[in-house]
Amino acid sequence: MSQIQIKDQIPTGELMSSGHFACPGCGGSLAMRLVLKGLGPKTMVALPACCWTIVAGPWPQSSVNIPLYHSPFETAAAVASGIRAALDMQGDQETTVLAWAGDGGTFDIGLQALSGAAERNENILYVCYDNEAYMNTGIQRSSATPWGAWTTTTPAGHPEARPKKDILAIMAAHRIPYAATASVAYPVDLIRKVEKARAIRGTRFLHVIAPCPPGWKTSDDETIELARMAVLTKIFPLMEVEDGQTWRFSMEHPGDPVEPYIKRQGRFSHLGPREIGQIQLDVDARWKMLERRVEMGI
Amino acid sequence: MPEKRPDSEMVHGVPEVAVSSTTTMANRTGSWKYTRPVFQDMVAPCNATCAIGVDIEGTMNLVREGRLVEARELLLRENPMPATTGRICDHPCESSCNRKSFDQPVAVHSVERMLGDLALEDPLPAAVVRIRTGKAAVIGSGPAGLACAYHLVRMGYEVSVFEGDEEPGGTLRYRVPEFQLPRVVLDREIERMRALGVDIRCGVRLGRQLTWKYLERFDTVFLATGAHRSRALGVEGENLPGIQYGLDFLHEVGAGRAPEIGARVVVVGGDSVALDCARTALRLGAEVQLVFWGECEKLAADPAEVLEAEREGVEILYQTVPLAIRGSEQMAEEGAREPANTISAGISGAPTGMPMGLECIRMTLEKPDGYGGDPIPAEDGRQVLSAQTVIIAMGEEPDFDLLPLDLKHDQVRVAVDELGRTSKSAVFAGGGIVEEPHTIAHALGSGKRAAIGMDLYMRERAGEKVEAPSLAGLRYGRVGNFSITRYRGDDPVRRTGEVNEVAGVERINMAHFAPMPRRVERRMKPSDREGFEEVNLGLTQKEAVAEATRCFNCGTCNQCEMCLIFCPDVAITRREGDKKFSISYKYCKGCGVCAVECPRGAISMTREGL
Repeated sequence: MSQIQIKDQIPTGELMSSGHFACPGCGGSLAMRLVLKGLGPKTMVALPACCWTIVAGPWPQSSVNIPLYHSPFETAAAVASGIRAALDMQGDQETTVLAWAGDGGTFDIGLQALSGAAERNENILYVCYDNEAYMNTGIQRSSATPWGAWTTTTPAGHPEARPKKDILAIMAAHRIPYAATASVAYPVDLIRKVEKARAIRGTRFLHVIAPCPPGWKTSDDETIELARMAVLTKIFPLMEVEDGQTWRFSMEHPGDPVEPYIKRQGRFSHLGPREIGQIQLDVDARWKMLERRVEMGI
Repeated sequence: MPEKRPDSEMVHGVPEVAVSSTTTMANRTGSWKYTRPVFQDMVAPCNATCAIGVDIEGTMNLVREGRLVEARELLLRENPMPATTGRICDHPCESSCNRKSFDQPVAVHSVERMLGDLALEDPLPAAVVRIRTGKAAVIGSGPAGLACAYHLVRMGYEVSVFEGDEEPGGTLRYRVPEFQLPRVVLDREIERMRALGVDIRCGVRLGRQLTWKYLERFDTVFLATGAHRSRALGVEGENLPGIQYGLDFLHEVGAGRAPEIGARVVVVGGDSVALDCARTALRLGAEVQLVFWGECEKLAADPAEVLEAEREGVEILYQTVPLAIRGSEQMAEEGAREPANTISAGISGAPTGMPMGLECIRMTLEKPDGYGGDPIPAEDGRQVLSAQTVIIAMGEEPDFDLLPLDLKHDQVRVAVDELGRTSKSAVFAGGGIVEEPHTIAHALGSGKRAAIGMDLYMRERAGEKVEAPSLAGLRYGRVGNFSITRYRGDDPVRRTGEVNEVAGVERINMAHFAPMPRRVERRMKPSDREGFEEVNLGLTQKEAVAEATRCFNCGTCNQCEMCLIFCPDVAITRREGDKKFSISYKYCKGCGVCAVECPRGAISMTREGL
């Protein structure tokens, strides 16, 4: 059929419940919903400080119908490693341990714990839902914030001056068995990657782009469109890396111009044609580099 | 030593290790929203532009699901002759198809033709039981008359159709060439109507065998006598022998008589009649030139048919204006560029027209760069085309000589309202004699509207207290034709919160579709085309079903579940049992992702609290 059908390819079970406290149109909450569909009920979550600390609900509530352990900001990977060890002691090999952190808890504050766990090849699945700033505390920049973006700590007069950290390459450099990117606009691809990761032992890393309407200054209904445009423009390509060496694109990326994507977001509204042209050049250059990685293996 | 804790395990009302015991379902996050998504089916643009008023979108959806029997029933509700319209309708549905902004429009007519042909193979239906007391007369058995009779009979009336020609079909038989509409197809579709109870009497012409006095025994009359009178070209020499008018020529061919034409034929005109005359003359063995005053794209005919005519060997002279028709003597005097053949026998054997010529002039644009300017005669543009027969196809108009004097009309049309009511009580009119484009679809549509008007009229006359329906509500969108299904109120297609607005292309989310080329119908090779065999062979059933899957189903939910999958609040669920989607407004925060991601615009955002 001409319509790209997804309904029969998405597991129907729901582990997330309504009534959670995410903002309207939250990409991060949809990311959790889809990832849990792929993992199923035999899952335990280690959750550092991030938006999801709130989304998961105040005691005695929980918006996910599986064990979820709130932990300090920098410890997601360490706590997940500990839960894994405890389960191993109990002889439970079936349960997946999921570390679920935002970009702040992954790129910045939790990087040491993550690097340590990856280096030890802990048997955990680490998912970073990336909304490109510390959104929960009021939109402060993180090292995942893209070049040129406004945040409350990089105001329009002095916007973010450094490029987004290449977290996928960092994780690949640990030679972990599986690292990948995904987007909430491509749920079939996302769930396929989750299911694939679930079946692998060792450290698995998934980087999910999760647009944030208040932080990106977009309307609530644009979340999926932006998550799709990020992929189609090659700003956030969908990729998989196996054993840190075999790089692969998950789909054809048409390479749409970045301008419409940039222009739709209030956080980029101070950028002129020159800056947008610079972003396009950077995306193109990075794409060439990714193509080389795919071609040669790193 | 830390202070000893109280006996209770609670500290400030919280246990030492806080473990959740309940879900977040107690939080009515739906109270945050100021906009509310609702499932609201809209009208597809094809439905709104169909002059017949067919639920095209609904039909395509049933075909996509492989429910071909239901699909043709839905089609036959509105259109009495889908095998015919699938072949010769000018399909405005395809011009308005939202898919044209994505790749190419859906080939609706090919799917319609497949369904129509399937229906031809069905056993004939049983006669409809007469549940109404009224009796209606229909004058003319062209598409308008047949549609009116068909819908009235299906409503349970007794209907008599009077046809002046020897066989029913009107313009379908005597104007449309057989290579476009095989007579077996037309005959079978009329046979189906007769089986339902439509009584057709042929050879009864109004004003001759049929009088207005006789018609008084009917409760109501539908006039659908059509437009048969050819317009004149209005140039010198139009009264010479060897000149024929397009409609007369096609009528003769349609009646099975080969009209006399010469070996060289020139057709003057710019519409599908002219094109059909040219292709018909070609099939009778003549060499044919078609003279048209405008540019190629101005020719008022299906471009595909123009292409076919050229492939068959019709030479079309564009931007050429006829000036005069010359007789043989004048030709000799002026020295035609191409000398006329000597007198040749007509194709039918009888001696025919003297050699003659059509004097014309080729036009060019004032500014040859193509940016405007008026057409001006080209230098050396004068030429005389030699021929033995000139066919004039300058459009048609109705013949009003036989209408009662008190019926309001002007030169070319009878005044009617949207239900086909004329100025004379009990008399309705439609088809070629009312103000509408002269297409098969418009004729079928006007017959349907009149059937609704006549039903209301007869029920009122029978003493029934009739509540006049909202006519705007019967239309698909604001300007579409009436739907019998809506009139009867028994739509078999499940709809949710229907609004009568057209789902334009801006409501389609193209990201959810993959390109898929439009399927092209097979046509007989020009070299294999013999006589009046059908040229267009259509699509196979398999191809047509595949073509229907290209339909976006604009405006109507077809349960693709995109909304359900993309909801960040798990607020859309599919109910057990009837499988309908429902939105839980207790939790929906009104973000609008579902409405944006709906591929077909079947979800609308409304303001909360209104």
